[in-house]
Amino acid sequence: MSSYTFNQKTIKVKPPEKGSFPLDHEGECKIPMIKYMKCLRDNKMSNTICRPDAKEYFQCRMQHGLMKAEDWNKLGFADLDAKEFKEKT
Amino acid sequence: MAQRSPQLEYKKRTIIYYTSAIIITMIGAGYAAVPLYKIFCQVQGLGGQASTGHDISKVTTMAPVKERSIKVIFNADTASAMQWNFKPQQREVNLLPGETALAFYTAKNPTDKPIIGISTYNVLPYDAAQYFNKIQCFCFEEQRLNPKEQVDMPVFFYIDPDFVEDPALSNTDTIYLSYTFFEAKDGLELPLPGYNQPYSSSQAVA
Repeated sequence: MSSYTFNQKTIKVKPPEKGSFPLDHEGECKIPMIKYMKCLRDNKMSNTICRPDAKEYFQCRMQHGLMKAEDWNKLGFADLDAKEFKEKT
Repeated sequence: MAQRSPQLEYKKRTIIYYTSAIIITMIGAGYAAVPLYKIFCQVQGLGGQASTGHDISKVTTMAPVKERSIKVIFNADTASAMQWNFKPQQREVNLLPGETALAFYTAKNPTDKPIIGISTYNVLPYDAAQYFNKIQCFCFEEQRLNPKEQVDMPVFFYIDPDFVEDPALSNTDTIYLSYTFFEAKDGLELPLPGYNQPYSSSQAVA
């Protein structure tokens, strides 16, 4: 708060919402990671196009206990989830 | 002067009493301000104390804003005493506000001893930092790397769609995300500008 009295701009640093990812020491999810990186490089580093690969990476993490299992819509993948659901049915 | 003396004495004494009373009150107020201010901050949520409780519901309801594409450029640093090799896997990512994005950093411990690191990050430009929300990353918690071990560290974040409505950011299309790793030793205080107290690893959000 002393920054307000000196009229300086403070850089706000916020902790992450879900905390920290456990480290993938064994490299269990290396392959989905490489797929995602390859997708990024092939598509001009566009996250929009590569979101299915990101979803796969998180799926791998959840399977190996490196991430708490969450609903996809809480991770911002609601539209991909709905698309998969439509394709299945 | 014999007549006025008692009156003068009385006046002098009252003035002295009032003045010392004011001085003591001011000193007391100075001491009392510390706990009162803490309570005020907790209630108001200023100074970064209340920002741990993000509403995760924002992620579920937000929609990507297709009109503005934003480039996030990644930077990695280590403190000079920190011997890890730490770098981003990708130089930049193009994304839309309101879209969750994944990015990777790699850290390698080239030494023969396990090293525990702890990281912090910065977002520039300053005005964009309030819209930059991290869902999950590897910062503010101790991370241990065994000798010669290399790990990928993901960062999962999104830019709040309200970013497009901020007039100060109408010309901003590039955001810089910079992580710095320090070696976690006892008594390490992470330099965090804007915080009153250093963020210690025991405070990490679960």
